[in-house]
Amino acid sequence: MAKDIPVPTLNFEYWLDKATEWGQATTLESQKDVCLHLPQLQKFLHEIYETLKHMDSIVAIQQFPLIGQLLGRLCWNPFVIGYDESQKTLMWCLCCLYSSEPQNPVELKANSWIRSLLCHLLSSSKWESNEAETSTFISTLGYTSADYYCHLVKNMVLSLVTELRRDQFNGLNIQGRVSASRVNAVSLFCLPLITLPDLTPLLETLLLYHGGASKEILSSEFLEAVNEAFLKKKISLPETAVFSLWLRHLPSLEKATLYLLDQLVSMQLNSLEEVACVMKDSLLPQAASHPAIFRIVNEIFKNALLETDGTPEVRTIIQVFTQLFLQAHQNENKQHKFPLKAYFPYHHQPLVTALLRRPFELPATRWSAHLKHISDMLKALIECLGQTDLQKIPSCPPVSWKTDTCIHTWFQLSHGDFLLLLSGRKSFLLFPLRLSSLLAASHFLYKLQFSAMSHMLIPEVCQTFLPLERDE
Amino acid sequence: MEAVLEQVEQLPALLAGASSALVRDWDSLTLDRALEWAQYFQHVHDRFRTRPRLREVLGRRLRRAQSNPPIGFPHLGRCPQLLGLALLENRALPPTACRCLLHRLLQLPGREAGPEPHSLALLARRKAASRLLALPSVPPRPPADVEPQLQAEAQLLLGRLREEGQEAEPAGESAGPPRWLSAVLEQLPMSRAFEVVAAALLEQGRGADRAGDWDLAGSSLEGNWASAVGDKCVAGPLLSWLLGNKERFSAFCLFLPGSLLASLAGYYSQLSRPYLDLLAGCGSHLLYDPLQGRWVVSCPDKAVLSWEQLRERFTCLCQGSDVLKGQTQAALKLLKAQDGDFQVCGLSVWADLLTEVEECLRKDAEY
Repeated sequence: MAKDIPVPTLNFEYWLDKATEWGQATTLESQKDVCLHLPQLQKFLHEIYETLKHMDSIVAIQQFPLIGQLLGRLCWNPFVIGYDESQKTLMWCLCCLYSSEPQNPVELKANSWIRSLLCHLLSSSKWESNEAETSTFISTLGYTSADYYCHLVKNMVLSLVTELRRDQFNGLNIQGRVSASRVNAVSLFCLPLITLPDLTPLLETLLLYHGGASKEILSSEFLEAVNEAFLKKKISLPETAVFSLWLRHLPSLEKATLYLLDQLVSMQLNSLEEVACVMKDSLLPQAASHPAIFRIVNEIFKNALLETDGTPEVRTIIQVFTQLFLQAHQNENKQHKFPLKAYFPYHHQPLVTALLRRPFELPATRWSAHLKHISDMLKALIECLGQTDLQKIPSCPPVSWKTDTCIHTWFQLSHGDFLLLLSGRKSFLLFPLRLSSLLAASHFLYKLQFSAMSHMLIPEVCQTFLPLERDE
Repeated sequence: MEAVLEQVEQLPALLAGASSALVRDWDSLTLDRALEWAQYFQHVHDRFRTRPRLREVLGRRLRRAQSNPPIGFPHLGRCPQLLGLALLENRALPPTACRCLLHRLLQLPGREAGPEPHSLALLARRKAASRLLALPSVPPRPPADVEPQLQAEAQLLLGRLREEGQEAEPAGESAGPPRWLSAVLEQLPMSRAFEVVAAALLEQGRGADRAGDWDLAGSSLEGNWASAVGDKCVAGPLLSWLLGNKERFSAFCLFLPGSLLASLAGYYSQLSRPYLDLLAGCGSHLLYDPLQGRWVVSCPDKAVLSWEQLRERFTCLCQGSDVLKGQTQAALKLLKAQDGDFQVCGLSVWADLLTEVEECLRKDAEY
């Protein structure tokens, strides 16, 4: 019994036209077009199913006369069937259209047509004509098409992986070169299959594949889709593959960073450990050991800070990120480490090195000397800059530290703009160097207990801070 | 236990019935019951999979049904898929039952979830994947690589052999290939059957090699030991199928390329002797034509190898393992000696072959 549900406007004509177009053309452009429309199509199929499940099959066919043609055409498009959950939804729609009590020849015919479509999708008996021998062989052995295709896909993946890897090792042997267009085609054809677990080895190999060309040979749609799937945790890839993805496709890296920011800001995170956990999961701090990645992520965080006028959440995020990055950097194998200069190319190197020294690396007696050294460097730099809009440079030396001092250093180095805060438990020093009228002044006092990780390094903090207390 | 055995005995009848016209009278209740039986059989399989003696008992009971090819213990595990797909394609199934089948098979939301999804959506997805991965035009494949479809068929054949090997008593090599094997291979055209058997033997041989490497590394697991023992059960029947029939073996050797046969002869010593004998037979049909200055086939209507093909095959054999190389060269030298041990070209096909093969190997060594 059909209920009185308002039928949403389902645009069958549009999708039928699309499906017809895709069925006829076999060019790379039309295949790219399919790939672009796959997510929307899946949503559309889902909407159809939601509508159909409450309807009688006869009513459904009356109300949506084009549905048969559409579903029929889509069943023969491997891009559609291979994508995510489209095949499941499509089959559910077909089931809904199957009538359990056919009253007339038309319904009988429709039933028969639905069954043959399903048989085609599941390769049960009417295997395509060139597979007829295979199908009898397999069923005589006592297996089903499920077993056959399971093995077949694994073999094909392995064969492609071997081909690509062999090409990498060939090095200068030009003869073995896989053509760039072939690799591009493979990457595009893999796009619908990204979330199929069998494909992971191929995804990894493609991401790590470097041909001779200077241009990117993997299709950008593919790279975007892999990134999307990775961010939504639909696939898991080894770290090297993810880093390679971000290194070769800038939009993916940007998206990943923004996604992380989004996640952190919208989650109710109660402690720094939780923030650090989410961040480590995203692999961005680990990826940032590549200077190129570090600089991009840094830039995005800086812009976020600027646009939000330095809200505490964003500051925390930057803080934790830098901490994790430093941690990962320290832990790296000494041989392969990039020098710090690579990460902070515009910054004054001795100052960077001095600021990155962590308190426990120095005996307590040397701390005040160390701080004095930093402030001396800063003063020298300020003098070198000779900016006319510098205001309020306190010339007092750093205060002497009390016993349980905590060192907390924030600085911003950006083409001559910088700001340094050295704070103790009750006192702090401020060196603002260039004040911009656009930046809001904010008060802050950031206290952290002394620990191995308490040495914080925050580049690009664009804020003015006013001293609140002074101590002798 | 006897109750379970009696129930399990119904499996062949169930599967046979599902593909027959008997389903005409089924309604949704019967269908539900049939699918539940299938689930039950799978459950039985999972419970007894790790108990070899009980497995054997169940297997023997199933074999009593004498279906051809025989239904064994592993079929219990695959029953839901076998039954589901058989019913789907059976046109005799009435619409009400069919609708019920579709809802159960495709796990439409709304029904209570089954114990284990049939993953038919995964099957459809994988089939589409196989179309997509084959679409980019394939460059000429190096001969060492096996075509994926062929390899899949070979893997399933090996799987079945392994399953049978685990259950049946190894009857020894004199018993010949199991009847079901010949019946199965007859489903394919002869040339395809040869390719599948060759691919299966190759895969088995490579696997044994790899297992051997692991053993050397000292990390051999129980699985490796079991597979090493099982190898005889797997390769044995295939080899006896090949060697059992002289004509079949000769057709096999003439059809497949020399490099593939050389690899197989390297893995399986049972093959190298008969193969060499076959090549010797082919060589004896060559006559020297002094006008053209080369060896030609004397009786063109017989299926024999030409001089060039013969040379290529002997070269491939000599490029194999040291054992195989030694065996081949010894055989050639013996044949040459039988012909009179002449050094002059044109008098003995074996002398000429030996000279050419050695020349080829010398060039290879230099390069």
